[in-house]
Amino acid sequence: MDNSQDYVIEMLHITKEFPGIKANDDITLQLRRGEIHALLGENGAGKSTLMSVLFGLYQPEQGEIRKNGEVVKINNPNDATRLNIGMVHQHFKLIEVFTVLDNIILGAETTKMGFIQKAEARAKVQELSERYGLNVDLDAKVEDITVGMQQRVEILKMLYRDNEILIFDEPTAVLTPQEIDELMEIMRGFAREGKSILFITHKLNEIMAVADRVSVLRKGKYIGTVDVASTNKQELSNMMVGRPVQLVVDKEEAQPADVILEVENLTVPSKLHHNDAVKNVSFKVRAGEIACIAGIDGNGQTELVYALTGLEKSTGGKVTLCGQDISKASIHNRLENIAHIPEDRHKHGLVLDFSLEQNMVLQRFREKQFQTLGFIKNGAVRDYANGLIDRFDVRSGQGAITTARSMSGGNQQKAIIAREIDREKPLMIAVQPTRGLDVGAIEYIHAQLVAQRDAGKAVLLVSLELDEVMSLSDRILVMYEGEIVGELDPKTTSVQELGLYMAGAKRMNLEGGNENG
Amino acid sequence: MDNRSPLLKRDGTQKLLASLISIVIGLIFGSILVAVVGLLSKDIGGKGIWDGIRLIFIGLFSKTRDTAGNLTWGFNSTNFGNMLFRATPLIMTGLSVAVSQKTGLFNIGAPGQYLMGTLVSLMIALGVPTTAIPPVIVWLLAFLGGMLAGALWGAIPGMLKAFLNINEVIACIMTNWIAAVLVSWAFSAAKFSVVRGQYFNQTDWTNASGTFQNIAEGTKSSYVYKTIWNNVATPKLGLDKIFPNSQVNAGILIAILIAIAMFVLINKTTFGFQLKACGANRHAARYVGIKDKNNIVYSMAIAGALAAGGAALYTLAGNTEFSWNTYQKLPAIGFNGIPVALLATNNPIGVIFSGIFMAMLNIVGTQLTKFTAYNEYITDVIIAAIVYLSAFALVIRMMFNGSKKKAHAAEPAPAVAEPAEPATEPIADAGEDPAPDAAVEEEGGENA
Repeated sequence: MDNSQDYVIEMLHITKEFPGIKANDDITLQLRRGEIHALLGENGAGKSTLMSVLFGLYQPEQGEIRKNGEVVKINNPNDATRLNIGMVHQHFKLIEVFTVLDNIILGAETTKMGFIQKAEARAKVQELSERYGLNVDLDAKVEDITVGMQQRVEILKMLYRDNEILIFDEPTAVLTPQEIDELMEIMRGFAREGKSILFITHKLNEIMAVADRVSVLRKGKYIGTVDVASTNKQELSNMMVGRPVQLVVDKEEAQPADVILEVENLTVPSKLHHNDAVKNVSFKVRAGEIACIAGIDGNGQTELVYALTGLEKSTGGKVTLCGQDISKASIHNRLENIAHIPEDRHKHGLVLDFSLEQNMVLQRFREKQFQTLGFIKNGAVRDYANGLIDRFDVRSGQGAITTARSMSGGNQQKAIIAREIDREKPLMIAVQPTRGLDVGAIEYIHAQLVAQRDAGKAVLLVSLELDEVMSLSDRILVMYEGEIVGELDPKTTSVQELGLYMAGAKRMNLEGGNENG
Repeated sequence: MDNRSPLLKRDGTQKLLASLISIVIGLIFGSILVAVVGLLSKDIGGKGIWDGIRLIFIGLFSKTRDTAGNLTWGFNSTNFGNMLFRATPLIMTGLSVAVSQKTGLFNIGAPGQYLMGTLVSLMIALGVPTTAIPPVIVWLLAFLGGMLAGALWGAIPGMLKAFLNINEVIACIMTNWIAAVLVSWAFSAAKFSVVRGQYFNQTDWTNASGTFQNIAEGTKSSYVYKTIWNNVATPKLGLDKIFPNSQVNAGILIAILIAIAMFVLINKTTFGFQLKACGANRHAARYVGIKDKNNIVYSMAIAGALAAGGAALYTLAGNTEFSWNTYQKLPAIGFNGIPVALLATNNPIGVIFSGIFMAMLNIVGTQLTKFTAYNEYITDVIIAAIVYLSAFALVIRMMFNGSKKKAHAAEPAPAVAEPAEPATEPIADAGEDPAPDAAVEEEGGENA
């Protein structure tokens, strides 16, 4: 950092209103050259709106943008590109059937007499990818490469356009822990080269790890900018939420009782490859405990849960739930004893075009209290939904009749959790229940899961977040390449040790399993 | 909850207005066409154009030409009665498409289901001797048998979709043509020997014996006997007194009752809830333990039964003729169910009105042919224009809401502390926000 006055981009007193809501209210953001500046805020705090203003997608009602001290007008994304501002969107903007190289040069092709000069472009992209350690296969089609590599393609797109100001919108939401580490390293590299980075996130760990300064927004308002070196996670989360937040889960010692779920030598085939996704897995979950399946995404957790809930068929082994063998039972029968917070709330958890109240009775509409002779009792459904909405503080535009699609992600998840908890089943399977949610919502959901455990339910948690695994679970089962490679006690183990198991560098010889160790 | 949106912002209102606007623009387009054709033709002239335009808008009320050669207007019972008669099968095929659409399937197999319904209801209506069994019972058997045949025929693409994941549109198109050939073959090959009844007991029956083909009447051998020959016909229930000199019968009442029943089924019952859940999100339906595959089959079977029911109501009228050489063409009524459903935005109650409207255009066409030098096919162009415009219903609805982005931002009510996602993620959803597509079929909360 040369000089504290050397701001490369300044957004001064930006106000952007939408009908009925001030998305940005007098926000000031100053980005220094060569720094990594995090923009922190809950869902709906106005981060994305502010970046849309910077990127020319929205015109602010008030305020001005300066580049290198001069006032600039950004009317559309092309203006932003001309000012060397680039952005990696949360949802990538890539053409799936094009190659990586074609995607990178698309819209900025060098041509001679109307012919694309691909060799030139290839050389430039190769030089960039080597300089910054962005390992990509230029000739692979985008649809064939991993999400992490797709993100690197997006980053190369910015570099290819010689962008100096790089905006990352929630870049880690889709990445595995290793890919996150790699991304952090890449971002540090950019900063060293003098590029300036705006990093939008609500993950405190990442900010602490990589950012120099952080600006916090809350409900459209600017709360403040602090140096990361002089702050801590607790202070940041308090700034973000506006009240003291419980970062550590507050819970009593678990009182495990009877075995609710017993899985023996379960094998599930994979849809992606010829190997089995789940290999010969055995474990038990008792009433009154939170057992957590930890592991890096894609190591068979999804398939394991599908096999337990019946969404996919297992090819071997036995699942016993509350004393009954359910290995061959229908989904409907299994649900008599399972509450399930699914991994993908849009795919499985909700019918997005249904109203909130219809979603609340998605499993229960056949029950006596909601129907007579096949006719749905609308009044009963409405009352029941309103009860859950009040109890679990599910917020939406029009209450029970709101279309699920129009609700925020956090409230959609709350609705699912309300529904599943209220079904009061002995086993609760929660798969990444806090994915993509902000600190306030995470705190709430963790408290609910602990309450379930204390109410004597067996809770099976599947999580990719190490913090969540360590703080919430009573027992950790680590899954690696479809096998359970370790059973750990969160009180005695460390994040480092857990990481070794997750990466497959260490494994235990577990009773009941047949693995060679 | 007293936060329902004002009338104009409601989903149902907007759909209705969008459809009405499409209709008006379509009719205006038809008038322009009439004017252009008239100006280009030597025989039509100003008066002819004026007559044509008036017929397009109010042809239903045209009566005759007076001695001075001017059109006379007023209530025309033949027009009205025939409109209701022709609307009957249209409402049924419209329901067929609408119900399948509600559950996320596109039933383009209505023509085939219609043909199977025709086949079975005709065979029962002609084949069961009314000397032994009362005609009313035969009628009922023929009606239900036809619907059952359509249900089974519709279930085939349903099963292919559910269990083998074969696109229902392709399977439907194939089953359409299979039905077309099957029906032709059945009527050309089938023999039946037990026929009795009024006409069939007559002495020259020996000539006609053994086939369904109408060889009793000189020029009609490419047609099947009318069901009235076996004394089977839909009762009139006094409708012929209200609309004298028309073909109307109780079929229209049956179609309306079925439409209401479908509305109730879809919106008020647990079964309808299941069907809609499967249609809106098959994965979520599976996750909550609904048997998604079965529901797809049920949905297609119901759609098939409805289309075939339309065929039964049409053929069992008694005085309609069915040309059994179907192997080269599919019945247009089956396909016309698609615009009927589209115009009604798949609302079963709306289908009643859009079906009647389409039938009215049909009457307008015959009146055009009768009274002017214009050809009835002009109304087909109007229908095409309206269908085209109904696809733009989305655009029209967007105009009500202002632009798309504004509509999104306006969604979270100010009272809500946490704005809905779309308002705060404009960048993320600029490109791939699922368009507020026509498949979003909630009745604006009225039914909830």
